[in-house]
Amino acid sequence: MEERNVKTNVPMPDVVLQCLMPYIHDPRDRASISLVCRRWNQIDAMTRKRVTIAMCYSTTPQRLRRRFRNLESLKLKGKPRAAMFNLIPEDWGGYVTPWVNEIAKSFDCLKAVHFRRMIVKDSDIELLARSRGQQLESLRLDKCCGFSSDGLFHIGRFCRRLKTLFIEESLLIYERDGEWLHELAMNNTALETLNFYQTDITRVRFEDLELMARNCRSLVSVKISDSEFLGLVNFFRTASMLEEFGGGSFNEEAERYNVVSFPPKICRLAIPYVEKDKISIVNPVASSLKKLDLLYSLLDTEDHCLLIQRCPNLEVLECRDVIGDRGLEVLAQCCRRLRRLRIERGADDQGMEDEEGLVSQRGLMALAQGCLELEYLAVYVSDITNLSLEYVGTYLKNLCDFRLVLLDREAVIRDLPLDNGVRALLRGCQKLIRFALYLRSGGLSDIGLKYVGQYSENVRWMLLGYVGQTDEGLLEFSKGCPSLQTLEMRACNFSERALAAAVMRLPSLRYLWVQGYGASTTGNDLLAMARPFWNIELIPPRQIVIDNQNGQEVVDEQPAHIIAYYSLAGPRTDFPATVRPLQPQHP
Amino acid sequence: MSKAMVELDFFRTEKDLSSSKSFDRRRSFRDLQSVISKMKPELLKSVIESGSSSSTPKQDPTPFAPLPIYSPTNSKSVSSSSSDAAARSQTAPLTIFYNGTVSIFDVPKEKAENILKLAVENSREDSSKAPVSSCERRRFINHIARDLPMARSLSLQRFLEKRKERLIGAMPYGSPKHTRFRTGRIRGYY
Repeated sequence: MEERNVKTNVPMPDVVLQCLMPYIHDPRDRASISLVCRRWNQIDAMTRKRVTIAMCYSTTPQRLRRRFRNLESLKLKGKPRAAMFNLIPEDWGGYVTPWVNEIAKSFDCLKAVHFRRMIVKDSDIELLARSRGQQLESLRLDKCCGFSSDGLFHIGRFCRRLKTLFIEESLLIYERDGEWLHELAMNNTALETLNFYQTDITRVRFEDLELMARNCRSLVSVKISDSEFLGLVNFFRTASMLEEFGGGSFNEEAERYNVVSFPPKICRLAIPYVEKDKISIVNPVASSLKKLDLLYSLLDTEDHCLLIQRCPNLEVLECRDVIGDRGLEVLAQCCRRLRRLRIERGADDQGMEDEEGLVSQRGLMALAQGCLELEYLAVYVSDITNLSLEYVGTYLKNLCDFRLVLLDREAVIRDLPLDNGVRALLRGCQKLIRFALYLRSGGLSDIGLKYVGQYSENVRWMLLGYVGQTDEGLLEFSKGCPSLQTLEMRACNFSERALAAAVMRLPSLRYLWVQGYGASTTGNDLLAMARPFWNIELIPPRQIVIDNQNGQEVVDEQPAHIIAYYSLAGPRTDFPATVRPLQPQHP
Repeated sequence: MSKAMVELDFFRTEKDLSSSKSFDRRRSFRDLQSVISKMKPELLKSVIESGSSSSTPKQDPTPFAPLPIYSPTNSKSVSSSSSDAAARSQTAPLTIFYNGTVSIFDVPKEKAENILKLAVENSREDSSKAPVSSCERRRFINHIARDLPMARSLSLQRFLEKRKERLIGAMPYGSPKHTRFRTGRIRGYY
């Protein structure tokens, strides 16, 4: 009789829990599980395989080791995202050294390491390679700086099981030679992904790429720097499994490129510096293309239209706004499977880009009606209307990530403020998790900012530029945004008092970045948000010498930043001179 | 100093920029900001004077003691248009350059005098500052915050520079008005 009743007071055996937990992958689910009770916390800790630390100063390597001993994959992010826009001092911080030291000592199961926007020295790479090289399968130095080709040599030497080497957009301090690639090609047969795209690496040899293609029969994705495309002909012949290629440049006459033939399985391409007369090399594979990156191409609007028409299976497209409204209309007609679209800002100089190369509400509305599968949409527009944003909310129900930047090409935007359009978009796109709105003065009123707070239930990351009018707008905004974890704001001119009040009100906020606000010299009003475990840092206003558009040296005024974040580690101990912690004075 | 072709509404005779829904920009914000920060202090000072008294702008400036930040020598005459504009408004902008920031306050003449006197006194002795009234503080406009030029991603910046280099390298004596591969269009596509 008793067996028929469910016994609620018998706990599930640990063994069962340990078998079940690995099936739960979502980090937020894991976080919830770990809070149930001490036992569940311990079992989660033992079985957790992947951890992402979105702010490397929020904890310490020792804490990580004490809790997640059996980690297989670690991702760390350092500098604020604004570093990608050259707004953060290069020595701001985010050193991987303490983490690598701990990895070398303690993390015996670690197979994948991903450092993003961090400072990596050759000695760090050497230590990592020597200590964990035998088990390392994936190493990503993503937009990092501080290392040289000497550091990369150790990877080739010690990491023989490496499947992924990714150093895209990293800034090498110097490049001695291409020996690191030769070493990797000689010693490794497991490589699947090699990426040194958008780096200034120039001394690698095509022979080493070909050697790698011969030795690594699983080589599926290769993205290189700006070497001449004609040198890749043999490589393409050898790397028959290749699905993704990016890089190269075109310096010869168009006819010479007739010999270029992509491998048969190629379906993802990124071709910088390609021009109208050379783009035809893509034609044989265009119909198989799922991903196309034209961000650094030299094509005009017409070229984009012609090319897009050939790619009905396109799922991911990245380009500059030279694609134009016309290109977006073509996209809406031909590429119904499009999931991700990123349209970046082209040159400001008149004459450098196609005169048709502008994106406005016209293109946006066509896109919304045509590409219903869109999950990610980031677009720099020259003109915008409320109606076009309503279209986005009406049609793009799968949108998880929406970013809109209004350029200042047009002096007058007639349909401002965008309050109603933004509201319609947020109400329509229920799956939205990331949201960016960068406008201009008058672009969004205080009411519009209040709408953003009200209708962004699931949004976890926001970038807001030039929104709102007064502190009231910010305070109303902060009454909403229940899920907002990371907030970036620029040029919104809110007072320190209002910023502090908003932070205190936003329930999920764990990271704040602000530049361009009502900064005082002391920052004392910000202390209203002082609380335990909340680090507040200021980057006071700086003057830096940069080259302007005419190549002259000018002094650029960089206004103050606020960076604030939750941390279990207390204030940083590695501040450079450009960063100042803000702490309440103890009586 | 760059020769700016910007028409600055220095005395705010047009509608207040921050509250209008649409506004007329003749150049990007960056140029506006750089022009303001490159203005000669003497010119600014004389503009303040002309705001307080529309006659004899060449007089030696007495009610204002020199600010510690700069020491103007001779005042310069200002254009008649700005003195007309100043006469029309009750308050005039007071621009202060301090510690890498530029701030503009709309203040009447008396308040401007007081502020300048305070600044001078404060630089002479370490006396406690008299607080600026709260209504001035609310009207505090940090031009650096408002007119922040949009930043470009590093990767794109590098690409655009390289593209320019290629263009200059291909045509070192200037770009042609037409291209080989397209007729009927004016601009190149590099």
